[in-house]
Amino acid sequence: MAGSALRRLMAEYKQLTLNPPEGIIAGPTTEENYFEWEALITGPEGTCFEGGVFPAKLIFPSDYPLSPPKMSFTCDMFHPNIYSDGRVCISILHAPGDDPMGYESSNERWSPVQSVEKILLSVISMLAEPNDESGANVDAAKMWREDREGFNKVAETLVRKTLGIPTSK
Amino acid sequence: MSTTTAAAAAKMTSTTAVAISLVLSSCVVANAFRQKKQFYPSVVYICKSNPSMAIMYMQALVAVYLIGKLTGKLFFGSLRPAESERLIEKAWYAVTETCLAFTIFKDDLSPKFVALFTLLLFLKCFHWLAEDRVDYMERTPVISYIFHLRIWLLLVILTLGDVYFVHDAYTTTMAKGPSVQLVFGFEYALLITLAANAAFKYVLHAVDVHSDTFWESKAVLLLYLEFFIGLCKAVMYVVFLIIMVRTYTIPLFAFRPMYHTLRNFKKVFQDLVLSRRAIHNMNTLYPDATLQDLQAIENVCIICREDMTAAAAKKLPCNHIFHTSCLRSWFQRHQTCPTCRLDILRPTPLTTQNSNVPRPITPTPGRTAQETPSTEAAASSSATDNSRGPSTSNPTHVSSNQAGSSGSSYYNQTPLQYQFRPYTFQQRSTSVDEINGNNSENSNNGIPESNNMNESWIAFMNAAGIGGGIGPSSLFNDMPQTSTNLPSTNIPQIPLNLPFVGGIAIQPPNIPPNLDTLSDEELRLMEQNTRQGCLARIKYITDIKCMLDAAVVMMNQYSSACLMAGLDSTDSTFNSETKTSDTTENDEQLETRPPSNISSETDSSTGSGVTSSSSGSEDQLIQEETEQQRIIRLKRLEKFGSNST
Repeated sequence: MAGSALRRLMAEYKQLTLNPPEGIIAGPTTEENYFEWEALITGPEGTCFEGGVFPAKLIFPSDYPLSPPKMSFTCDMFHPNIYSDGRVCISILHAPGDDPMGYESSNERWSPVQSVEKILLSVISMLAEPNDESGANVDAAKMWREDREGFNKVAETLVRKTLGIPTSK
Repeated sequence: MSTTTAAAAAKMTSTTAVAISLVLSSCVVANAFRQKKQFYPSVVYICKSNPSMAIMYMQALVAVYLIGKLTGKLFFGSLRPAESERLIEKAWYAVTETCLAFTIFKDDLSPKFVALFTLLLFLKCFHWLAEDRVDYMERTPVISYIFHLRIWLLLVILTLGDVYFVHDAYTTTMAKGPSVQLVFGFEYALLITLAANAAFKYVLHAVDVHSDTFWESKAVLLLYLEFFIGLCKAVMYVVFLIIMVRTYTIPLFAFRPMYHTLRNFKKVFQDLVLSRRAIHNMNTLYPDATLQDLQAIENVCIICREDMTAAAAKKLPCNHIFHTSCLRSWFQRHQTCPTCRLDILRPTPLTTQNSNVPRPITPTPGRTAQETPSTEAAASSSATDNSRGPSTSNPTHVSSNQAGSSGSSYYNQTPLQYQFRPYTFQQRSTSVDEINGNNSENSNNGIPESNNMNESWIAFMNAAGIGGGIGPSSLFNDMPQTSTNLPSTNIPQIPLNLPFVGGIAIQPPNIPPNLDTLSDEELRLMEQNTRQGCLARIKYITDIKCMLDAAVVMMNQYSSACLMAGLDSTDSTFNSETKTSDTTENDEQLETRPPSNISSETDSSTGSGVTSSSSGSEDQLIQEETEQQRIIRLKRLEKFGSNST
C-alpha cells in the first residue's frame, strides 16, 4: 500500500480540486510526484497585492503531514515575510520546536491537522497583513513600516510583472 | 522556467568544460607523439612535463565526472532537481572536509592520495543518491521493476565496495602502522552504515508497498532503525576521534559530521523514549473511540484524512479522536495533541466510566450543583443529556444541568434520611469537565445516580469515622439481610445524629475529594498562584479541618454513649433512632426492638452499630423519636457533659 503521506496528499489534492477555495489553485507538478506542488495565489483584494497572481511551489517531506512542507514563491516578491529567494516564512510552516526567528508561539506552528489549503489561506492573509517583526526580508519590513507608499508602488510593480503588464510610468 | 534555463546553462558550461579538457589533453598527447614518435618515450615525456601533467590531471577529473554521469544514468536514470540540489550541497561539504583532511596528511599528499579521496567522494555521492532514491519510494505511486533492480544492484555493489575498502584499510594499517588509510577505513565504515540504512529502509518500503493494508508498525521500525544506525555512527565517530587524537591530532574535518551525528542521535533517542511513553499512555490510558464519538466528528481522522473505525481510533484526554496509527507516528515527533496541543506526557489519571471511587471535587469555586431528586430522573437525565463523557460520570456534574431541584431532596432520597436541610451539596466542576461533557454520551455510562451518591456518602462516612469497614452494599443496599441475620437483641442503636450535637445542628463536612483522581488540568489549576488556585487550596484545607472536627464530634459522641451505657445499663433510649424526622410509621419497630445491654452497646460502638442502625433505616426507613425519649437523651447528654468537664 502506498505510504500514508502519499495518500494524504492525494486526498488533499482531490479536496482542493473538488472544492477549490477562492483565490487558490494548487496541485502536484506532475502526477508521478505528489510531493512537489505548484500553487497560484491571487493577491487579496483591497491590499497592495490586489489583482496579482503569484506562482509558488510547495515541497513536501516524505513524512508529511508529520513535518511541514516548504513553500517558496517562484516569482519576484517583496514582502516582509518572504525571503528574497522566495521562501515563505510563516509560523504555520515551522515545525514545533524550531523557531528561526524566535518569536513564534508554538500554538501557531505546524501540526498534522493543518493542510495545504490552510497554508495557502495563511499565505494570503500574510500578503494582506505582513508581520513586520519577522524580518525575513528586512528591507521590505522597514519599507512597510516607514514608507508604505513606496511599498505599495513596489507591490504594484510586482503585480504587473506577474500579470505580464508593462509597468506604468 | 528560470530553473530549466539555469540547468541548461549549467549543462552548456559543463559540456564546454569537457570539450575544452578533451581538446587540451589530445593536444598534449599529439604534441608528445609528434616529438617522440613512439609510445613509451612520449608517455615519459608527458610525465616529465609539468604543464602536460596538469592537463592530464584535469582530464582525469573530467573522466571521473563523465564516469559518474554515466553510472548515475545507469543506476538512477535522470536525477530529480531536489536530488541534485542535495547532492551538490553535500558534495561541497565533503570537498571542504577533504581539504581539511589534507592538512593533517600533508606529508602523504600524492596523486594516489588525491585519487583515493576522489574515489571516496565519488562513492559517497552514490550512497547519498541511493538514500534519496529509497526515500523517494515512499513518495511516488508508481514504482517500476527497473527501479527495484537498480536499487538492488546499487546497494549490493556499494556494500561490497565499502567492505573491500574497509578490509584494505585494516590490513594496510595493521601491516604498516597508522597512515591515511585510517581515515579511509573510517569513512568507508561510515558508508557501510549508510548503505545498511538504505537497504533496511528499502526492505521496509518494499514490504509496505506490496502489502494491501496499512502497515502500522512501519513507523516504529523506522524509528528503531534510525536509532541503531545513529548509535553505530556515534560510536564510530567517538572511536575515530580517540584514535585520531592518539595517533595524529584533532581531526577537525570530522567535527561537523560528528556534531550532526551526535545531535541527530540525541534527538532520535529522545524521540524514542518520549514516543514510547506517549504511545504507552495512549494504549493504556485513553479509551477507544466509540461509534457515537466517530459520528460526531464525521468519522474522518484529521491526520490522514481517512475514515476511522472504532477499533482503530483513540480518544485523547482532550476528546480529540485520531487513528491509533496516526497518533503513534505523530507521537514519535511531538507528544502533544495535534489539534489542541495538549501535552500527552503530563500524567493524566483518567478514571473511566466504571470507576467506583468518588469523583474528584474539582477546584472551581462558585458552582453549586444540586442533586436530582430521584434515581429515575437522574438516569433519564444522563440518557438525554449528551454532555456526559466517559470521564465525567460524576453524578453532580449531571445534576448541575438540572436547575430547580432542591438540595435537601438529595438527602431525602438516601436511605439514611438525614435532615441536613440547609445544606446544599457543594459541587465545583472545572471547565475541563465542561469540555469533556460536550462529547457524546458514553454507552457504558449507565451508573445509577443513587449509587454514586451512596458511594460518596460512604466515603464521607468512612472518612468521618462512622461507617468503618462497612461497604456500600451492606450499608445501603443489602441492609435488610444483614440486620435480620443478626440477633436483634444484641444490636444496639448507636446514635447517628451527627448533625445534632446537644440539639444544635451543624453542617456535615464536604465529601472528601479524592485527590488521586484529579485530572492534569485540575492539578495545574490547583498549582497556580492565581486567586482561583489559592482559593481551591484553601477550600481543600478547610474541608479537611471540617472533617477532622466532625471526627472529633463523633468520638465525643461515642465516648459519651459508652459512658452513659455505663451509667445506666437498663437504658434503652439508644435503641430508638436518633433522628428527628418528618417521616413517621416507625413506632412498631421501636416496640419490637428489645432493650440492649451494656456489653453489646460498647462492643458495637465501632462498626456494627452503624450497620444495624442503617439496616433499621432500611427496614423502616425512619424512626421517630418520641418527645419523652428525646428529653431523656438530652438530659443524659447534659449530665455527661457536666461529668466530663
